[in-house]
Amino acid sequence: MSASLERLVEIALRDVLDPEMGKSVVDLGLIYAIAATPHGAVAITMTTTTPGCPMAGFLKAAVAAVAGSVNGVTAVTVTLSYEPAWQPTMIAAE
Amino acid sequence: MPMASLSRWTMSYFAAALASLLAAELLMLAGFGYPAADLTEPATLIVVHVTAIGWLSLAVAGALLQFVPVLVARPLAMPWLALPALLAIVAGLVLLCAGFAALAGWADWPFELMPLAALGLFCGFLLLGVMLVATLLSARPVTLFAGFVLVGLACLAVTVLSGAAFATILSGRSAWLASVAPLPDGLRFHALLGFGGWLGLIAFGVSYRLLVMFMMAPELPARQVRLVLVFGGFGMGLAVAGLLAPATGIEIGAGFITMPLGALAVASAFYGRDILTLYRSRRRKALEINMLASIPAFAALGLGLPLLPIATAIGGWEPGIAALTFLLAFGWLGGLTLAQLVKIVSFMTWLETYASRLGRGPAPRVGDLVAMPRTGWWFALYYAGVAIAVAALAGGLASGFRLAMLPCLIGTAGIACELVRIRHLSEIKAEQRPSLHERPRLLLARADERRMPHADNRTAETSRA
Repeated sequence: MSASLERLVEIALRDVLDPEMGKSVVDLGLIYAIAATPHGAVAITMTTTTPGCPMAGFLKAAVAAVAGSVNGVTAVTVTLSYEPAWQPTMIAAE
Repeated sequence: MPMASLSRWTMSYFAAALASLLAAELLMLAGFGYPAADLTEPATLIVVHVTAIGWLSLAVAGALLQFVPVLVARPLAMPWLALPALLAIVAGLVLLCAGFAALAGWADWPFELMPLAALGLFCGFLLLGVMLVATLLSARPVTLFAGFVLVGLACLAVTVLSGAAFATILSGRSAWLASVAPLPDGLRFHALLGFGGWLGLIAFGVSYRLLVMFMMAPELPARQVRLVLVFGGFGMGLAVAGLLAPATGIEIGAGFITMPLGALAVASAFYGRDILTLYRSRRRKALEINMLASIPAFAALGLGLPLLPIATAIGGWEPGIAALTFLLAFGWLGGLTLAQLVKIVSFMTWLETYASRLGRGPAPRVGDLVAMPRTGWWFALYYAGVAIAVAALAGGLASGFRLAMLPCLIGTAGIACELVRIRHLSEIKAEQRPSLHERPRLLLARADERRMPHADNRTAETSRA
């Protein structure tokens, strides 16, 4: 149940697009972890390309809103992390 | 962790900067200043200061107010000082030009305008420096990027103070100052610290961070980048020594200027190697207009800075030195600034307008705000004008230089219009534009209204009913 919910959240997050590259936050490697409990509480750990990114708050809110719209999700927690720091090599190959 | 926000007054800084650039180009087109006048005549000094303070310094200041908080991940310290700083700098510049006009005898104005102008500029740049230094030092450890900006600001401080001394001397109000800081020998170091230290070193430091962000390139090793700061900082230290030498009675000789210029040229060689590495290693293969239009600017740096110490070492070839200085001021610094303005304005405009729509349906990309390829053609015109102007200056062709300023002016005006169109969302389909009262204002960012409720927290939480 939780593993498939995590997968559904990841698929949903592909709709959150970076406005610079037009790639999703998943393809850019900004989503570090998605963990779901059997009760549907989802915890997402994500990053931004730079710690002071002016979009950080908006990205975090967008990820929370999109994940929260997935069927079966009862609560969402999004945490920003800069350990490890994001690197361009984290971008998924085309 | 506090989140960096939009700088409210950056657009106003950019508008004043672009107006100054257009004014400088109009003056040169009209044959005002060098080569029609001598390098140290008031007419030339007006054009030089409108370019250095009005155009380049205000544009760099506006960009720093937005990006220093982003790059050190701390909010801008004392943001309410941004408007007084802008007003003081603009007032100082206007008074300075009026003072030069009085010195030239074009108007019967008192020479006291000069120290008054210096006071305005000193206050304005002091306020700017206070905001930036306080922001930079609020982050620990102090990064290499902060090091570039701090050294640049130190050079700005020496430039402003030496300029104030010169202004006081020129007003005839200080025989003592005139005895310890004889003109015009100090002018070269004053100019070098302004263009090379304040504007140049900061362009080096900021571009390392922005190019990594804009091209998705891997960070370069700090030890590699530090070489640029060490050689650049050493060169500027020599320039300060050259500036202060007359006050200490040390005879340095006319060729001394070659040494700081040489150190800066070595720094630029390391910098050029690094920029090439960033372009080659970028993950974002398609170059946007800001990165494409920066390439001629980097080429201007690669040509101008190695040749300038050679030209000064040879000595006596004033047209060559003037041509290389123009190439660096308008080709490198001016071109790079114009190119990055397009990116900064479009990014800030997108952030104001569409960031809150993220994840809530279709929204334009940042690049969609820029009219392409038209913007590229304006840059082509601008750089063509710079290239012709450099050739005309080197060849001593005053009329050729004036004619070359026409494509420069048209290109700049075109880019300025594109920036206004970006703010008006002119390239965006009507159905994707917000209602009129929610659209970005031309000169003032909606900094507070668009701040996220979760901006100061690391964690966002939602729960479904």
